[in-house]
Amino acid sequence: MKRISVEERPALAEAAARHEFEFQEGIGIPFWDETNYYQFTEKQIDEDLVKPAEEIESLCFEVVTRAMEDETVLQRLGVARQFWDLIADSWQNQERNLYGRMDFSYDGKGPAKLLEYNADTPTTLYESSVFQWEWLEEAEKNGLLPAGCDQFNDIHEKIVEALSNIGVQEILHLGANRDIEDDMGTLEYVSDCSKEAGIMTQVLAMEEIGIDDDGRFTDLEENLITTLFKLYPWEWIFAEEFGTKIASSGTRFIEPAWRSILSNKGLLPILWEMFEGHPNLLPTFFEDDPAADSLGEDYVRKPLLGRQGSNVEIYRDGDLLSSKGGPYGQEGYILQAFDPLPNFSERYPLVGCWLIASKAVGMGIREDGGLITGAEANFVPHLILD
Amino acid sequence: MKRWNSVSRVALIAAGVLCVSACEEPKVDVATYQTLQQCLADINMVRSDCEKNHAAARKQHASVAPKFASARECEEEFGRARCEKAPQTTSGGGSMFMPLMMGYMMGSMIGGRGYGNAQPLYRTRKDPGTFRTADNKRAGRSVGRTQVAKSSTARPTAKRSSRSRGGFGSSGRRFGSAAT
Repeated sequence: MKRISVEERPALAEAAARHEFEFQEGIGIPFWDETNYYQFTEKQIDEDLVKPAEEIESLCFEVVTRAMEDETVLQRLGVARQFWDLIADSWQNQERNLYGRMDFSYDGKGPAKLLEYNADTPTTLYESSVFQWEWLEEAEKNGLLPAGCDQFNDIHEKIVEALSNIGVQEILHLGANRDIEDDMGTLEYVSDCSKEAGIMTQVLAMEEIGIDDDGRFTDLEENLITTLFKLYPWEWIFAEEFGTKIASSGTRFIEPAWRSILSNKGLLPILWEMFEGHPNLLPTFFEDDPAADSLGEDYVRKPLLGRQGSNVEIYRDGDLLSSKGGPYGQEGYILQAFDPLPNFSERYPLVGCWLIASKAVGMGIREDGGLITGAEANFVPHLILD
Repeated sequence: MKRWNSVSRVALIAAGVLCVSACEEPKVDVATYQTLQQCLADINMVRSDCEKNHAAARKQHASVAPKFASARECEEEFGRARCEKAPQTTSGGGSMFMPLMMGYMMGSMIGGRGYGNAQPLYRTRKDPGTFRTADNKRAGRSVGRTQVAKSSTARPTAKRSSRSRGGFGSSGRRFGSAAT
């Protein structure tokens, strides 16, 4: 695995405009860095990322299966009891998942270590699927890259295929927080993929969703919402007024409710408990578990429901090495063995492996100047060259 | 590692089109009229087709037309004096409003069996030249026998009557981006 400097594409400003990304003179596109790329071999992708990611996915399914019979799982994840049936039904009814991103600490040599699974509302989909592919094509054409490069990226094609198989009747509604440009951008992209799959779509804001006298969810034009793709986390929905109305609404959700088990960082201690010693898992415990003492003085403290590195604390030799602030943590914490992200020229890449319909089909890398990957991290493209 | 078909993807990106919806869709034969009289006046149309389809469209109108909690909201969308009171009420007993039916569209039936599958049509304030279905699909600008995209002839959906809104979204206002 190498990090290689490269020239920016001469027509970067035009590329930004075409994809409706912001572009600033002298800076380029915020949170996108194409002055460097990461290079992998085919073998590294296949053996160190694809195989482990798909294996972990099946281990995750075993966790969900266990949650169906053992109520301590949902208890320890902090999911309110009134939603247990909703989650169980979504699993028993085999409601299909569409996408997710597993984040790994990986340096090209040792086994990739799972840091967390973004199984509900993963970010950087568009950059991973479309934008970094276009970078590869254009950079090659401009002679900026060696000949014969490939990229671990079948994401677009697989999303369209998965959507056409996901069984949407009538139209697909898509909802997110209207004020967050990035989230709406991702939503529009999924809407485009849906249309490519032959599905009619309607994008709306989550707060625009209504409910009628029969308890059915409605959009602004008073149409029934039969299937809703939400870029909006389950744990927020569980805390909101309409959360308890979902079970009787008849609306099908993508991602389905059982994904809330996997997007919760409580997944990680349960995976360790069930599959201790697996080469791609890190020792992880709930904070109040006495067994956490086995981690010693080096560990990472993470809130069960945090996002984008918020409220994460890294301890080395018992001292706080690095941390990020944020509003999360009331729901509890996990402690995970400290496996530092690799240092490439004082940049720390986090390797995100994309799974579409549970198959590993792409990768997106974000790099931060520190050990905790936050919202300001840059997306850096990659290529495969043997 | 199978390489994605790079030519077609880049071509799609270059054209600014990633999806099929902006591209050509098959068209089907329809007959569209603003009023029953207009249909009857068309020598190409049979009286019974005009009448039975007009009646069918009118019958659907109250159920499928978009609904609003006030005349002002309806007129904002469809124009002044272009709305009427709907037969439905809100669960609190308040009036609801819907746009006036501005025409009807019927599909040509296979085997020369005339026209059927009628539905009511509407016109918005911002785009008055275009007929739209109750589900806001464009149904062309022409009157008489014409063609529209197949998806525009789909059965319009019956509209619900929401009791309340805003039961989702409060966490987003508190936390910001949903993405992880």
